[in-house]
Amino acid sequence: MTTGIKVQLSACRGCARCIKVCPTEAMRVLDGKVMIIPELCVDCGECIRKCEDRAILINEDNWRLLASQDSTLIAADPAFYVQTRGYSCPEVFSSRLKEAGLEDITPWTSLAFDVTAYAIAKEIEKRGPEGLPLISTYCPSVIRLIQINYPELVGRFVLVDSPLETAVSLWREDTGRGDDVTLIAPCPAKVALVRSPEGRPKSSMKYAVSIQNVVRDLLAGGVEVDQPVEPCGGDLRYLLWSLRGGESKHVSAFCNRPIRTISVAGLRNTMDLLRELELGRLEGVDYIECRACDLGCIGGVGNLESRFLTHLRLDHIDVEWTMTDQESEAVNRWYESEIWKLSAPLKARQRLPLDQDLGQAMVRLREMNQIYAELPHIDCGSCGRPSCKALAEDVVRGNGEATDCIFKLRERIYELAREVAELSSRSPHAFNRKR
Amino acid sequence: MTEVYVEEYVVKGDSFLEVGEASTKLKGTLKMLGIPSDVTRRASVVVYEAEMNVMIHAGGGVIKASISSDSLVIEAVDHGPGIADIDLAMQEGYSTASDRIRELGFGAGMGLPNIKRNSDELDIETALGEGTTLRATLRFERG
Ligand code: SF4
Ligand code: SF4
Repeated sequence: MTTGIKVQLSACRGCARCIKVCPTEAMRVLDGKVMIIPELCVDCGECIRKCEDRAILINEDNWRLLASQDSTLIAADPAFYVQTRGYSCPEVFSSRLKEAGLEDITPWTSLAFDVTAYAIAKEIEKRGPEGLPLISTYCPSVIRLIQINYPELVGRFVLVDSPLETAVSLWREDTGRGDDVTLIAPCPAKVALVRSPEGRPKSSMKYAVSIQNVVRDLLAGGVEVDQPVEPCGGDLRYLLWSLRGGESKHVSAFCNRPIRTISVAGLRNTMDLLRELELGRLEGVDYIECRACDLGCIGGVGNLESRFLTHLRLDHIDVEWTMTDQESEAVNRWYESEIWKLSAPLKARQRLPLDQDLGQAMVRLREMNQIYAELPHIDCGSCGRPSCKALAEDVVRGNGEATDCIFKLRERIYELAREVAELSSRSPHAFNRKR
Repeated sequence: MTEVYVEEYVVKGDSFLEVGEASTKLKGTLKMLGIPSDVTRRASVVVYEAEMNVMIHAGGGVIKASISSDSLVIEAVDHGPGIADIDLAMQEGYSTASDRIRELGFGAGMGLPNIKRNSDELDIETALGEGTTLRATLRFERG
């Protein structure tokens, strides 16, 4: 299901660049306009990065409208706090946000990430070696990718909710407030988290907007977020989740035994890793953290600042890994309350086979191979499909014609032309008759 | 109706970069046919290990997958040196791979045991100096 991405058809020129970068081959260009196959889209945002006409956008809510309300409550992704130059303390940032009439739930967010890391650590410790490695559920794009392409691995997801959801739940419990909360998200996948969450019937948040829109607006509104502030005493562990490996470090800090984790970023690496896991070649690994974006969430397509600069900032943050007694007590209490638990297991979302009946599916697969064999195998994309294979599949599924391939079309025209030439060389009978 | 669908993959010797291709292709095929995902996973492992074996020990060969209404048969045929002692080869950790191959992290002696674990029936014919034919059957309904 694609909920984090929208297409602005009027801006689409049908250039077909996006279809080539889609890692799951979910895009087509038909009749000159792009379309997304919803069952295959993982909301990673690669197409948004590639589109030069801004025809593909994050499907976010209207920030201006939300910000202009009397009170606007925000829950921000950790990547949000490293977007500006002078940053060093979320609390100070919060007070700046207040100047702009916004209220954020920072202290609960930080607590929620601790609770989440602790819960993951406990899940790892509970499992025997056969049940490991467990897979992180932090990147919604990776969740979808596994549901669609690696259905055998869905049982390995750690059934711990997104810490962003937990943050809002904690805040509601503590304050008893019921206001609508807006997520400031680094990517379409986290927008999708709000629109159609996995493992829970409904998100605890109502709206979602991209980091870039909010930061741009704050800067334009004259809020001083670019001034250096004093280093902050509070806990900054959670900010590291926006950098590859940050989650693993946080989880390790809560484990009673040393754990072996693998952290990868980028969809290519993620797919390679999942493949190896699927083949049973990752023995002895306890936890796997995958992020769809390069470097982690600071690489999300909805950020404003350069991911290299935010990486630099995160590298220079002083992080305290040992909890104070007070912190541990709070984490324990919330852990026991199970507020972090996903209410339903994550299910596979496999693609429909060519036919429900195996025999019939075989017939169509043969047909597909036949069609594919006759295509040029150069994956040029001119047919509006990402590859010749995809065209062959579309044809047997009834979503196209072999002559959508420009080379096939040329052949057909040539044949037709020859036929026409041959026909025209035959003289009508009337003229042949001897007078 | 007893439709049978057959696909064949050629495995070259010493082609570490390509190893895994047959297994990826077969996975795609099985998905298109709607074969249960547990079978797909096991088939991926069997073909991957077979590719490895054929590449490392026999300098190449052919892998054939035949799908019928109730099962998948994977056949790996090579004309390599053959296996001297099958019982020994079936033991976990036993390997005749060369040091160079081991340095690359392959040939840890898990191939055949892994294939056996993931198939419902396994049959190996081998003759020294002539080659090996491995036939693994995976049933769609595990009985
Ligand atoms: S890595 Fe982070 S920013 Fe990128 S898609 Fe996943 S959740 Fe979004
Ligand atoms: S060669 Fe033909 S089928 Fe292949 S991608 Fe190009 S137009 Fe499409």
